[in-house]
Amino acid sequence: MKSIKDHLMFILPLMAMLIGIEFILVFNRITSSYENKLKNEYAILVVSQKNLTTPYLRSIDDNIDSVEAMNREDIAKEVTSGMQDAALAAIMKDLPYFYRVHLTSYMSLDGLKKIRAELKNVNGILNVEIFGENYHSKHTIFRLVKMLLNIFIVMLFIVSIMLVIKQMQVWQLAHKDRMKIMEIFGAPMMLRSGILFKVAIIDAIIATILNIVIFLFIKSKWSQNSDIDFVKNNQDLLFNISDFVILFVIAIVIVAISVFIVAMNTREVPEG
Amino acid sequence: MASIISATNLTLAYDKGKNIIINDVTFTIEQGEFVFITGPSGSGKSTLLKSLYGQIKPREGMLNVGGFDMSKIKKKQLLQLRRNIGIVFQDYKLINEWTVEKNVVLPLIITGYSLDVQKVQAEKLLSHVKLSDQATKYPLELSGGEQQRVGVARALSKNPFLILADEPTGNLDEFSSGVVWDLLENACDQLNATVVVVTHKIPTIFNIPYRHFIIENGGVHEVH
Repeated sequence: MKSIKDHLMFILPLMAMLIGIEFILVFNRITSSYENKLKNEYAILVVSQKNLTTPYLRSIDDNIDSVEAMNREDIAKEVTSGMQDAALAAIMKDLPYFYRVHLTSYMSLDGLKKIRAELKNVNGILNVEIFGENYHSKHTIFRLVKMLLNIFIVMLFIVSIMLVIKQMQVWQLAHKDRMKIMEIFGAPMMLRSGILFKVAIIDAIIATILNIVIFLFIKSKWSQNSDIDFVKNNQDLLFNISDFVILFVIAIVIVAISVFIVAMNTREVPEG
Repeated sequence: MASIISATNLTLAYDKGKNIIINDVTFTIEQGEFVFITGPSGSGKSTLLKSLYGQIKPREGMLNVGGFDMSKIKKKQLLQLRRNIGIVFQDYKLINEWTVEKNVVLPLIITGYSLDVQKVQAEKLLSHVKLSDQATKYPLELSGGEQQRVGVARALSKNPFLILADEPTGNLDEFSSGVVWDLLENACDQLNATVVVVTHKIPTIFNIPYRHFIIENGGVHEVH
């Protein structure tokens, strides 16, 4: 019973840290995917008196990915709906060119304003519409959620580290005598801390596996029943096989540091 | 005979030199000798013994143990030296969560001997200390005398060139004390190990030649 409690005292804070790290990984993927989606659905509208090409606009700002010309006839027809063909011809003659300008990546409002200023300086361009407010309203909420999550994860980490330190003190008490006796008989640090390291590695493996089970459940069950369309349509973002490697490596690093500190604290310091 | 321990103008102290325990002593101990160190409580007997396995560094002077200069010895060298020294403590210092047989072969585990060798050596030593039937028990299930015999068996398990014993019979009854003295005598006589024993009282019946050092007022004097 005491042994199970000792294991849980390390497994639970380790799991909390790993959950925090997995949340960061998942949220970074979701953020990146969401920004990509926003970027793909977004375009700056440019009205110009002259023809514009992608290479030309890229030479003005390398954040510009492509330029898509809008059909002038469709626009003119919409405007001249119910009028005579002569009116259409007259409007077509004076109608400027309309372009959708796509960007290479998601950009901040300041970045968009900078591009607008650069495009407005181009000779022949009459107007540039960046639709900045619409573009950013959803993303601002998203960033707020991300910031709150990060604060939560930092708090979780601090509490978890305190619990791990507490468990290190328990380890120190439990293993000190054995490690000191082994040192008197000439055991190197690796051998002295070997037993503790094995115990801690088992805890690290259990914590990693439990974490993976939780996130696989979220991916396969919870996300299907979720009301959030974005989550439903992007289940792959919720857990990657590479996450297992990342979590396991981090768990091992935490274990190695903890055991090393315990071993250092129990080592003999010659008097005199 | 080769010198195993050599102290020249050795001073041992605690509290960064403020509390001098052994002051400017010179002596040598040869291979295969049995040495008793006696003296009043607090005279520095255990301090001198601790300096021989590097738990206390010389404050001044030179101390050489098994070819190592103990004032300059590096951690790795110290561990190497300790792997070839057998140490017996008054409070036994057994690992309570290990069985008796595992405790006995601790020096072999540290050196990396195979399980087969460990098993053979454990059986042999436990038979020597008359504890063959206690092999699978844990130290806290044994009496003080039995625990000390386990401690002596552990000290002998790797045929060390040097055995250090700090009040090995201090807490023992007459029977267990007799067994411990016999074992230490045999180690010196038959294995040619150097044995240094710190004790309050030299046993009345002792079958091999020995040297006797008295520690008093920080000095070490040999009784002839």
